Amino acid sequence: MRAGFWGAVSAAAIVVAAAGCSRQSTSEPAGSAAAYRAPRTADGKPDLNGIWQALNSANFDLRAHAARPALSLLPAAGRSGVPGLVRATAVELPDPAVRPLGAVGGVPAGEGVVVGGEIPYQPWAAARRQENAREWLKRDPEIKCFMPGVPRATYLPYPFQILQSTNKIVLAYEFAGATRTIHLDKVGDSPSPTWMGWSRGRWDGETLVVEVTDFNEDTWFDRAGDFHSDALKVTERFTPQSPYHLTYEATIEDPKVFTRPWTIRMPLYRRVEPDKQLLEYKCVEFVEELMYGHLGVIDPATGLKNK
Amino acid sequence: MNSWRLPAGLAMATAVGVLVATHGPAFESVAAQQPAGGWVQPKTAWGDPDLQGVWRYEASVPLERPAQFQGRASLTDDEVAQRQKVEEEQEAQRLAGAEGTAVGRGNLEQSPIRGNEYNSFWQDHGRPRQVYKQTSLVVDPADGRIPYTPDGKKAEARATARYGAGPYESYLDPDTGERCLTDGVTALMWQGPNGGHNRIAQSQGYVTILHEEYLDRRIIPVDGRKPSGIRQWFGNAVGKWDGNTFVVETTNFIDRTNYEWASIFMRPSETLRLTERYTRTGANTMDYRITVEDPTTFERPWTAQIPITRLPEETLIYEYACHEGNYAMTNLLAGGRADAAKRHK
Repeated sequence: MRAGFWGAVSAAAIVVAAAGCSRQSTSEPAGSAAAYRAPRTADGKPDLNGIWQALNSANFDLRAHAARPALSLLPAAGRSGVPGLVRATAVELPDPAVRPLGAVGGVPAGEGVVVGGEIPYQPWAAARRQENAREWLKRDPEIKCFMPGVPRATYLPYPFQILQSTNKIVLAYEFAGATRTIHLDKVGDSPSPTWMGWSRGRWDGETLVVEVTDFNEDTWFDRAGDFHSDALKVTERFTPQSPYHLTYEATIEDPKVFTRPWTIRMPLYRRVEPDKQLLEYKCVEFVEELMYGHLGVIDPATGLKNK
Repeated sequence: MNSWRLPAGLAMATAVGVLVATHGPAFESVAAQQPAGGWVQPKTAWGDPDLQGVWRYEASVPLERPAQFQGRASLTDDEVAQRQKVEEEQEAQRLAGAEGTAVGRGNLEQSPIRGNEYNSFWQDHGRPRQVYKQTSLVVDPADGRIPYTPDGKKAEARATARYGAGPYESYLDPDTGERCLTDGVTALMWQGPNGGHNRIAQSQGYVTILHEEYLDRRIIPVDGRKPSGIRQWFGNAVGKWDGNTFVVETTNFIDRTNYEWASIFMRPSETLRLTERYTRTGANTMDYRITVEDPTTFERPWTAQIPITRLPEETLIYEYACHEGNYAMTNLLAGGRADAAKRHK
């Protein structure tokens, strides 16, 4: 599918603008699912092939959130100075570890992608989520280039590619080179918990439905500390809405962490640039200094002996 | 190769998941394998030759021709029979839990890849390795040896001597496998059983190869586009069909020649150029040829002809979470510090 580039860009831009100003986008499927019938693959299935990307701030926080100065914040200290003066006080300040990033390190606001707005944590889990947020710099697996899990892989700020064969659909994510194979044919059970889950798919009319199970408890949903246990089950629905966008929906069930199932919903956009390819983001190499620099006899960053 | 670390992934499960007993006669060469009676190259729904399935290298042919076979491209029938007997004995020993020379833990000459020579269970196919008449995978030049430049030869010798020996002063010192970076494109298709399973998946306009170890992945466009020019670990691969043969040209590799201690197959240079030809010769056999050009390392291009086997339909590849569970790195570096402390006593 090679639509004229500029025509495609303007169509995508209109779609983006429409999604951006609609607060309905998380409570109703974008567009009318019944109205659009996707082109078919050679074997007659809706054709989802292509490179797709989310355009939202879900990876910062799945819930509606205001902008803030940094992902890691510390309470501002009180002020002392000339006695008798009323003083302005600082809002929360960026953690010194991320302060040099300035505006680049800020968190953009977002309307949220959780249907109904609330993530129904059990009380202990709500507390743990807040602790995760405070300890974000130490705990977020994205920082260490660990596989992002599902659904987070979908709305990381990197493209992913759907490669649609007959019995297998490969989802190739740019981040960390993570990959999932969706089995449309019958396969056995996963022999072990995994980072990216064990994906079984089926077609429901225009929609690709994927049930993902057998997760470990090590991935997160976003940079705000939202998490799950190894009891996680994710049911994803990919529904084409136009040549340039689809609706992605993921229902999350985890009786160890949440009081009920809950759902996120967002549009995904086709990357329409001519000859767009998934490029490498082999980030293991990017985090070795962070993870191992201090452990060697010599630190490559300084060329000096470690203490 | 990452043979001593138990990966968080499932190399073991994979190895036992594909047990199939097939004892065939020795093949003349891959090319000489005639399509089994009536086999016709299947096509995808959109009409491309269908190469899909999980494939791996499971023959016993060394990469370079051992000195004892100098001047000979083929084994004699007696040698083939002898080798077949050895492979069957070694497999029986492996299944019985033996170690050491009894299971083929010999030397680098016997092994097409580094790392094959120890901890043999990692290299267990679950069945005897296949015996071919070929005396080396390298078929060009005619002597079956890789035509290293003098510097290339020295670099490879240094890497081999250093492999598994250290010293490990920093995370830069283990090879790219221990660092969970990559196996490198060159050896992807013929790595062998430890994570060397490759799922070929086709979609219209693309052939994708998912390699189990290190999540190595190639998404190869087959739509006439030009290379992107963006240098990458896996370069820019472009594919085309030549009859039933899938031809892939890969250029624009990133320069990682500074990773001194990694095998030459795992640290690309900007001058590396690979040309691969994938030709199915039957339902479960493929003639895979790779031509390697890199004036930085080799005097001239060389070509290996490699028999690849398709595993049963139900074979799966599993998530190889290497980096996520790389406790070996911290342990190697702790060992490196202990060694350094001893040296300075």
